[in-house]
Amino acid sequence: MLSSLWLVIDMHFFAFLRATGVTLQLTAVSLALAVVIGLAFAFLKLSRNPVANLLANAYIGIVRGTPLIVLLMFLYFGISSIVVLTSFWAGSFALAIHAGAYVAEIFRGAIQSIDSGQHEAARSLGMSRRQSMRLIILPQAFRRAIPPLGNQFIIGLKDSSLVAFLGVSEIYSTAMTAAAANFKPFETYLVAGLYYLVLVLIFTVLVHRLETKLTPDRRAAA
Amino acid sequence: MNVIETRNLHKHFGELHVLRGVDLAVAEREVVVIIGPSGSGKSTLLRCLNFLEMPDEGSEVLLDGEVIDPARDDLDKVRERMGMVFQHFYLFPHKNVLNNITIAPENVKGMPRAKAKEVARDLLSKVGLPDKEKAWPSQLSGGQKQRVAIARALAMDPEIMLFDEVTSALDPELVAEVLQVVQDLAAGGMTMVMVTHEMGFAREVADRVIMMDDGMIIEQGEPAGFFANPTEERTKTFLSQVLHA
Ligand SMILES: Nc1ncnc2c1ncn2[C@@H]1O[C@H](COP(=O)(O)OP(=O)(O)OP(=O)(O)O)[C@@H](O)[C@H]1O
Ligand SMILES: [Mg+2]
Repeated sequence: MLSSLWLVIDMHFFAFLRATGVTLQLTAVSLALAVVIGLAFAFLKLSRNPVANLLANAYIGIVRGTPLIVLLMFLYFGISSIVVLTSFWAGSFALAIHAGAYVAEIFRGAIQSIDSGQHEAARSLGMSRRQSMRLIILPQAFRRAIPPLGNQFIIGLKDSSLVAFLGVSEIYSTAMTAAAANFKPFETYLVAGLYYLVLVLIFTVLVHRLETKLTPDRRAAA
Repeated sequence: MNVIETRNLHKHFGELHVLRGVDLAVAEREVVVIIGPSGSGKSTLLRCLNFLEMPDEGSEVLLDGEVIDPARDDLDKVRERMGMVFQHFYLFPHKNVLNNITIAPENVKGMPRAKAKEVARDLLSKVGLPDKEKAWPSQLSGGQKQRVAIARALAMDPEIMLFDEVTSALDPELVAEVLQVVQDLAAGGMTMVMVTHEMGFAREVADRVIMMDDGMIIEQGEPAGFFANPTEERTKTFLSQVLHA
């Protein structure tokens, strides 16, 4: 069995390598967008404007209440009479819109978790609302958001496998194609799983490093 | 001239009428200590002075003799002129000590970094922490944190300092070092309003002691007379409670 596993790894090495690149691109693009969307909707949700709140709640509610695959199909096939997106971009947008809702909640929670005394101290020094947010609250909130964001990013990385159903040649669709051709589904899907696992592990280490780097005070205190 | 003054200051939190017509005037270089039971509105009064809380319509707060109109005046500019120190310090945990002090002068006043550092170092020596500029707030004792918080407020070169129970969260052995800094400031001529339960300090440093109860100033006077012969029954009760605690 080990030898046939090696055979599959060897046989599809370049296909999986290329697929890994596509998976990483999908993940990177969608999560970068998700952070922008998430931050924007976190502010809408924290705003005192009821229309902004409604908008944020509607977005988060809809995304939470519907499966990602539906959103994927909707963006690729459903609205093709209005806008035609390539499968890569339909996939990226769907992943971004989906993850954005969760990222919004992560940012909102992180911002709200900062002691209101921090804002008051900043204001008492003459800082505007904006300066207090930018210089005092957000830097602390970002640090607090890193662990849950890292978690959400891992989910996003794995969710990118659903884009296979739009025909994007990422890791999962490459595995499907390979398994159909080599009649070794056991080994092939095992290899696909290993690719994801390794990516997630690398990512976990990177997130941990980032967190350490962004919290020099915690290191000093320890 | 009065640095700060309130006229008929009222404050509601919803139905709760917390300040019920406070008239307070603090002269230049004057040290005013406010005492009173919990919930009497001491913190709210301080917070109305720098508009962290909005006074009710019809109340007046004057800074250097000019009425501040929250609708028209830039309150950020008003707050720049008043320093505030809180019971729980609220140092910025993501900034080291030096940057806690420089962040406002640099970003609010546009002070060049080099100048802001110089100001910060000078203030750190003044509060007795010249060797802590690179430390993180999490590495400091409560007394050290509070002294940094005082330096941070002073870095904006305020006309008046507001202290809200700045020693209440400290271990007893750390209280003196903070009070010493406040006393030095008073000796240097800083105008200040201080809410405190440290009666010994009030007696020694205050020019005037004010007793608040139920959202009103019920009695005030220079400390010697105030502590020796309080006239109001509520003041007597309060003093006997805090002095024998
Ligand atoms: N933001 C707020 N919202 C609602 N009620 C408030 C708020 N801030 C203060 N209060 C209420 O106003 C009253 C006065 O509070 P304040 O903090 O000014 O009292 P204090 O004299 O400083 O008391 P302490 O000695 O306990 O600090 C209290 O009943 C308090 O519960
Ligand atoms: Mg108080």
